[in-house]
Amino acid sequence: MPKIDLTMDVNGRKVVKQSEPHKRLLDFLREDLNLTGTKEGCGAGECGTCSVFVDGKLVKSCLMPAAKADGAKIETIEGLARPGSLTPVQQAFHKTGASQCGYCIPGMVMAATSALRENPDAGIEEIKERLGGNICRCTGYTKIFEAVEIARDVIAGRLPETALDEDATGESFIGANVRRLDAPSKVSGRLKYAADMKMVDMLQMQVLRAPMPHARIVSIDTSEAEAMEGVACVITSADVPGTDGFGVFVHDQPVMARGKVRHFGEAVAAVAAEDLITARRALAKIKVEYEELPGVYAPEDALVDGAPVIHDYAQDNVIKHIPIRKGDIAKGFAEADLILEDEFRTQQVEHAYLEPEAGIAYVDHDDVVTVLSPSQNITHHRHMLAEILALPINKVRFIMSPVGGGFGGKEDMIYQGMLALAAMKTHRPVQLNFTREESLVASAKRHPSRVRYKMGLKWSGEITAIEFDMLSDGGAYGMSSEGVMRKAAILSCGPYEVHNLKVDTKVVYTNNTPSGAFRTFGGMQAQFATESMMDMAAEALDMDPFELRRINMMRIGSRTHTQQELTTASLDRVLDAAEEASRWEAGAPKVRGPRRNDLGGPDTRKPCTLGARIGEPTDTQTKDERVAS
Amino acid sequence: MLICESYHVPKTLEEALRLWAEAPDGSRLVSGATDILPWAREGRAGDVEIPALIDVTKIPELKGYSCDKGRIRLGAATVYQDFLTDRTLMTNLPCMPYCAIWFADDQIREQATVVGNLVNASPVADGTPPVVALNGEIELTRLEDGAVRRRSVPVADFIEGPGRTLIQPGEIATAVTVDSAYGYGGSFQKVGQRRSLVISVACCAALVRADSTGTVFEDVRLALGGVGPRPIRLRDAERRLKGERITQELIQRVAESAADSVGSRSRKEYRRDVVVNFVRAGLEEALANQPEIGAKFKNFGETENA
Ligand SMILES: Cc1cc2nc3c(=O)[nH]c(=O)nc-3n(C[C@H](O)[C@H](O)[C@H](O)COP(=O)(O)OP(=O)(O)OC[C@H]3O[C@@H](n4cnc5c(N)ncnc54)[C@H](O)[C@@H]3O)c2cc1C
Ligand code: FES
Ligand code: FES
Repeated sequence: MPKIDLTMDVNGRKVVKQSEPHKRLLDFLREDLNLTGTKEGCGAGECGTCSVFVDGKLVKSCLMPAAKADGAKIETIEGLARPGSLTPVQQAFHKTGASQCGYCIPGMVMAATSALRENPDAGIEEIKERLGGNICRCTGYTKIFEAVEIARDVIAGRLPETALDEDATGESFIGANVRRLDAPSKVSGRLKYAADMKMVDMLQMQVLRAPMPHARIVSIDTSEAEAMEGVACVITSADVPGTDGFGVFVHDQPVMARGKVRHFGEAVAAVAAEDLITARRALAKIKVEYEELPGVYAPEDALVDGAPVIHDYAQDNVIKHIPIRKGDIAKGFAEADLILEDEFRTQQVEHAYLEPEAGIAYVDHDDVVTVLSPSQNITHHRHMLAEILALPINKVRFIMSPVGGGFGGKEDMIYQGMLALAAMKTHRPVQLNFTREESLVASAKRHPSRVRYKMGLKWSGEITAIEFDMLSDGGAYGMSSEGVMRKAAILSCGPYEVHNLKVDTKVVYTNNTPSGAFRTFGGMQAQFATESMMDMAAEALDMDPFELRRINMMRIGSRTHTQQELTTASLDRVLDAAEEASRWEAGAPKVRGPRRNDLGGPDTRKPCTLGARIGEPTDTQTKDERVAS
Repeated sequence: MLICESYHVPKTLEEALRLWAEAPDGSRLVSGATDILPWAREGRAGDVEIPALIDVTKIPELKGYSCDKGRIRLGAATVYQDFLTDRTLMTNLPCMPYCAIWFADDQIREQATVVGNLVNASPVADGTPPVVALNGEIELTRLEDGAVRRRSVPVADFIEGPGRTLIQPGEIATAVTVDSAYGYGGSFQKVGQRRSLVISVACCAALVRADSTGTVFEDVRLALGGVGPRPIRLRDAERRLKGERITQELIQRVAESAADSVGSRSRKEYRRDVVVNFVRAGLEEALANQPEIGAKFKNFGETENA
């Protein structure tokens, strides 16, 4: 690899280093200088986890070749404050709780710092605009904006420095603004996520992924890749010593495709090499012969007679069917004055946590295979991996690194097995950092669903019966599907007491990207259908939607859809609070005509507009000058 | 992943032209790198191995801008953020600040050049419509028998289609020259999948100058992006407005006729609706944004009804 010499002033220190011409400033900072407070959330300019100052201007270091920054003055999150101290911006983030997983936070702090350097008097609209290149998936933006406003006012002397201190706590922590213990490590960029860690002699892994959704693997030839200089090992499913298979409920997923691939992007082989480029070049040398198979891409098609079978053990392509029966729906519908029917569909959704999957595996001095990763389920992973590796449980260890956002998407053991196999084959530490694209292609998604709904009601508003039939797309592997269907069934008809109901939730295999756990775990899909039905019913009955819900809500003593008798219930208070907070205009939906008066209040969010700063240019040096014609 | 054997940062134009003329096949010029780095990723070009990257942003001659005979020559190193920080550029190119504010984000705008945007020739590039509305020409420079030769091509002709331009091997784009539109009101409309940090589905640049009474269109410039393979200048709409009394009916009529300019095959009906609304909103906002008489148009709808 050719070398170049780079000289920079980094955080006030002169740095002279040999590096490689292809490196981005982000790589140079993270790999060559170990400044890992600057993160790589996307590598494509979209997320802002990589923001640094170059000659005083904030830029995205994933979009800047390192050689372009030769001779420049660089400032990273590590350089904002002296060790042991925090800047007012960092303190304000700490105070308002503007850090959850923390992965976006160094970038956010940099963007906030830049906004206040560019315009120390920036108003909230301009602050929002200037932070527009940075995404957060867990904190949300309110606390972040609040922090920037506090910092701005403290820096300008409009607020005392004590405004950055923790609020006093009285008798109880409930309702008090308590600072997070781990926030300083996040606002300063010191917290190490899996991709930030390095071990001596560590190899880099890259994964060869399926270029088609359903195919038989005729052959895999890894010989050319294995012969390459710098390649330590190539692994395929043939390297699995034990019982290959993982999953949250059914162990239907091999560590790497075994015999066939079931979705686009499924891991087929992996390379561990001395560096990333060698690993990537080696991937290109692996020859896989596929025989394409007819696929299933819609859950309805998976249930058709003669549909392609995706897993041999499930000839009907059904992963799970959860039925619930209560009362007598025939009787319930017979009693109804009104019967409504409709169909509701939801789409696949990616979690888009800002930290792409990453991990390290090594075999320690006692032959314990150790995997460090932001896994949301390390105990279960450990048990599964022991079976896969045919090792006793005390020879397998999982370490949970800080999770840069998961939302359910890091429950599946989709890469830890590959890391363990490569570490065992080489006896060297091996690291795998997903790209954003890889994360999108290989990780589980929220289940797309279709609900057929039938609801019977009396003119009084009382629900007499519900028939709820959900079909979900589980994708290529089972993952958390079973649990998601259970939850969807339990929550199906909402927090309403329904005496007669028939609920079926079914999830099937397709050749789409697997579906898995995702915030609400099936609840959202069910509630979208149920709450939409309730609103439509209110319209049909000419009744206030809040009233309809009050008539049917579960109370103390109610029996849930699964026949549990409730000893506590709070929906009445929830509805009261929601009605008041939304300044609800009482009445049936039709009374309002085309305009509602309860929209657009002072606390509602306005649509995004940009341009707060146009008209007040920051550069007042240049003149408002007409160019002579 | 973009892998290169060498990265050059020439300090003079001659050096850059020489390096570029002699660069092995597959080498690329680099300005802000905001198109070229994301291009070399999975799902697009994937891993790309390139012999040489030649970075032209450190050449003094390509920095800054100059003004002459009602035209402004923007050096190739001009980035989008300049249209939000430099008052001369803001007032002379009044559609550019609105384009810039909707362009990527503050950080990318510090790197992204106008020239890179034009040479990249994406049909949804935000820079193309305002530059076309400003009668922009791109300056292309090459070495010929050791001498530096320049030619200028109107941007409307330069972009031939998605990713295709009239640039020739050995040529470096060294500047973009545009009309000064001092005294005009400018505006920029954009729609994408979300509001902030997004690539356009369609966009529209407008420039308007009313007469001294503020009741007649003296000059109008309109250009569209994202509705066909090439940038579209709405010459016909401009002609129908120029010299006419400013009324909402006229604006609406002209906007509706602009729908036929949509050439894209995908989401055609949607784009037709968008174009009608963009031309109308673009004209109204540009009228309201006129520096001297803009105040009269601030409540455009109401003045009309009064
Ligand atoms: C997150 C993100 C958001 C974006 N948002 C927008 C947006 O809102 N609107 C929009 O229009 N674009 C957007 N872009 C695209 C990109 O930022 C722009 O097209 C930008 O103007 C490209 O300029 P550059 O200087 O970075 O070009 P580069 O990437 O350096 O180059 C682009 C192309 O031009 C060539 N080139 C560069 N300089 C010269 C020269 N002097 N002579 C000849 N050829 C040259 C290069 O070889 C390359 O082919 C976005 C990009 C990202 C990553
Ligand atoms: S913007 Fe650079 S990593 Fe996402
Ligand atoms: S705290 Fe912002 S992404 Fe997690």
